[in-house]
Amino acid sequence: MIPAPRMRPAAFLPVAFLPAVMAGALLASVATARAATPQSLFEDGNAAYKAGHYDQAVAAYQEVLANGIVDPRALYNLGNAYFKMGRIGLAIVQYERALRLAPSDQEIRDNLDLARGQIHDRPPEPELQYPIRVARDTLEMLPSGPLDAAFLVLWFVTAGFAGALPLVGSWDRRRVLALATLAAGLLALTAGAAVAYQVRMEEAAVAIILPDKVDVRSGPGEENTVLFTVHEGTRMELGNRLDTWVQVSLPTGLSGWVPASSVEKV
Amino acid sequence: MIATAHRRALALAGSVCLVAAAVALGSSPVAAQDQVSVRAMVDRQEMSEGEDLRLTVEIIGPSLDKVGPPDMTVLEDFELSAGPSVSTRYQWINGASTSSRSYTYALTPKKLGHVTIPSLGVLVQGRTLRTRPIDVTVGPRGAIRAPNQPPPATPRGAGPREGSQGSQGRQAAPISLRLRAEVDNRSAYVGQQITLRLVLDTQTEVLNAGPLDNPTFPGFWAEEIKLPDQPEVRRVTLDGAPWNEITLMKRALFATTSGSLSIPPMAWQVQVRRRSSDPFESFFFTPTETVTRRSDTLTVTALPLPAAGKPAGFSGAVGSFSLALSTDRTASKVNDAVGLKIKIAGEGSLGSVVAPPIPELADFKRFDPKISSTSSVTDDRLRSEKTWDYVVIPLAPGTQTVPPVEFSFFDPKTKAYRTVASQPVSIQVAKGDETPGSALPVVAQSDVRLLRRDMHYLKLAPDGLRDRSHPFHRSPLFLVLLIVPVAVDLTLWGWARGRDNSPEAARSRRERRARGVARRRLRDARRQMRPPTARAFYASVAQTMTDYVGDKFGAAGAGLTHQKIEELLAGSGAPEELRAAYHHCLEACDFARFAPSSSDEGEMRRVLASAEETLAGLERSLDA
Repeated sequence: MIPAPRMRPAAFLPVAFLPAVMAGALLASVATARAATPQSLFEDGNAAYKAGHYDQAVAAYQEVLANGIVDPRALYNLGNAYFKMGRIGLAIVQYERALRLAPSDQEIRDNLDLARGQIHDRPPEPELQYPIRVARDTLEMLPSGPLDAAFLVLWFVTAGFAGALPLVGSWDRRRVLALATLAAGLLALTAGAAVAYQVRMEEAAVAIILPDKVDVRSGPGEENTVLFTVHEGTRMELGNRLDTWVQVSLPTGLSGWVPASSVEKV
Repeated sequence: MIATAHRRALALAGSVCLVAAAVALGSSPVAAQDQVSVRAMVDRQEMSEGEDLRLTVEIIGPSLDKVGPPDMTVLEDFELSAGPSVSTRYQWINGASTSSRSYTYALTPKKLGHVTIPSLGVLVQGRTLRTRPIDVTVGPRGAIRAPNQPPPATPRGAGPREGSQGSQGRQAAPISLRLRAEVDNRSAYVGQQITLRLVLDTQTEVLNAGPLDNPTFPGFWAEEIKLPDQPEVRRVTLDGAPWNEITLMKRALFATTSGSLSIPPMAWQVQVRRRSSDPFESFFFTPTETVTRRSDTLTVTALPLPAAGKPAGFSGAVGSFSLALSTDRTASKVNDAVGLKIKIAGEGSLGSVVAPPIPELADFKRFDPKISSTSSVTDDRLRSEKTWDYVVIPLAPGTQTVPPVEFSFFDPKTKAYRTVASQPVSIQVAKGDETPGSALPVVAQSDVRLLRRDMHYLKLAPDGLRDRSHPFHRSPLFLVLLIVPVAVDLTLWGWARGRDNSPEAARSRRERRARGVARRRLRDARRQMRPPTARAFYASVAQTMTDYVGDKFGAAGAGLTHQKIEELLAGSGAPEELRAAYHHCLEACDFARFAPSSSDEGEMRRVLASAEETLAGLERSLDA
């Protein structure tokens, strides 16, 4: 069980706390730099992996992540090391985390597919029509940074056009400007929807089953009926949480409760 | 007595006719018998468990039409294991014909001790004739009578024994025969060879032997082991007595499933020479007898192959094998076919090996292999050989290596899986023949193929690691950048709105819109251009013209007199003729409004055209 990489909703942090947080991060990085830099830890992990010492590699990559350096490459390498150790569930968790940070990375996607091919439960494929499927795949593949930039540029262009509207005296010019505003606005809306989709995907409460076999019960507690059984590596959506139990559901609609320790949140 | 006489007569007639006829005449007074009779006979009345009893039902009469087989359903102590075999004989003696038909059955007793063949009914010409019941004693297994010891025959009732085919009154020599099945190994792994041997122990001369039915081995895959043409006879001593041991059949058995498997009993018919005490019979023809013997059920344990250490490519071969990979040449050219042969040979069965164990070859085009397999038996052990002949075509020049091919099997001797591998084979591939005259050789291109899927290797971070857990769209700056344009726009719009609401803006708007309003009002007036509404029309045109000037100069239309309008227009620099036209038009309207006579439509059209023209001209002049 490793701690999930911190994914704070930084967008909503009060601006006043920002300097304090940054100063803390700086201190932490200075402290770790004395012992071992994340870069050297990462390379240690790679060397251990190459020598076949996957457990050492796992420890090294975890150290990198614990230093607050949540780099998709470290997550991906950690997933590879788990994969080599036969811990398919943990490998899938790491790959999914890496993919959230680098959605357009084909290597992560390939290895995730490979790991999913090793699990017992066949992943239920939602029946999507052709154009919707392509649109979804495209949305998931878009790199997050350029998408944000594109959205902001379109947003500014739209706002610029809209702001210029009352300044233009002529009716004809005003009509052209209104059309341009509309066009830019539609584009900005599309890009904004893509950003929103990525935000939703990042925040999706999804967990991976870790033990070989988990009984999904009708309620939180061992006394409840076993509804169905899932196996290591199966991806489930998280619902409510009660004490040490969490509600999980499959895309097929099956849902129930499992011990919180048997799943790892992505 | 009659039966015996008949028997004798039959035998003689078969060999020496004259003598036979004389004997028959002298001893058989029943030649002219026209009565049909039936009787049942057994080959012996004492037997051991596991042996078969031969029952013959004979029907004798002058004619045998409308005669059916005996009803065997009444048998309770016996199981019908073979039969019936039917033989019919016909003879003609002193003008009287006699026919006989015999049904012969092989019976297996169901229990030990005294058992009875009940009276059997035979339907002859519409009525049922019955045989006499026969008692048989079944002894425990292995109680084979010594050859010279007379059997303790105790025929039922006072009548003579109707038993063996031998002569009545003399004791027939017992037949010492025993059929047994044996295996070399009572427990073997699935797929490991078990050699089954079917042996006939005999103290009698065996003339012929053949199986009653085809042996079946459920749960096994059986391979026949050929026996030498001359049956192998071994002399052994059992219980102090000399016996001959004849191997009748050998099979190499391979269990296909694990667990306790049984080899069912096999029944054989054996023809033996009888020792007859009758010198006459012995002299003239070979007294033989056919008996049926049955082996016991054998139970064999088939062990499952261990799950531990099973190699990935294991396809079920059990035994001891070697693998060889060879190519028919070590140097070739691009597009020049090379023969590649993989041969697996050794002791055991290769029937289950289906997948040719060849790895995917890059830079080679490979065709489906020709598979051939042979098997032979050496020292009772099955040896198999399977060959895959591939034709591969090198697609690219250079040193191409066929990687080692692996083959895994289970070795029952060491009780472990073994994997053998071939040596890698290198083939020097030269560039293909260049066509003389062409500048460049033609290269056959092929797609780059993925040989197999594997995970991608680690990612490296030459540019250093970065914390990427906070994407830009989650940063406060992003939110700020999202809000700023909206705020700026709102400010701009608010300012513009405030500017529009000032009196100057209202005046300017009024001035800007004057021409449009006037044009719309004149268009409305056109609808009133009829004599009944002539007044309204003129009033409307006059009002429009006055309001236009009012809008343009920011004055109220009601307070505008001709004088005032003239001042305003002159002040704005409108040309003299335009001003005159304006006034003329306005006056025409006033005149028509108050002089009801003029409701001429032509006049109205003229006034409207003049008004539109004047306003257009004024607009141009005022905008300039």
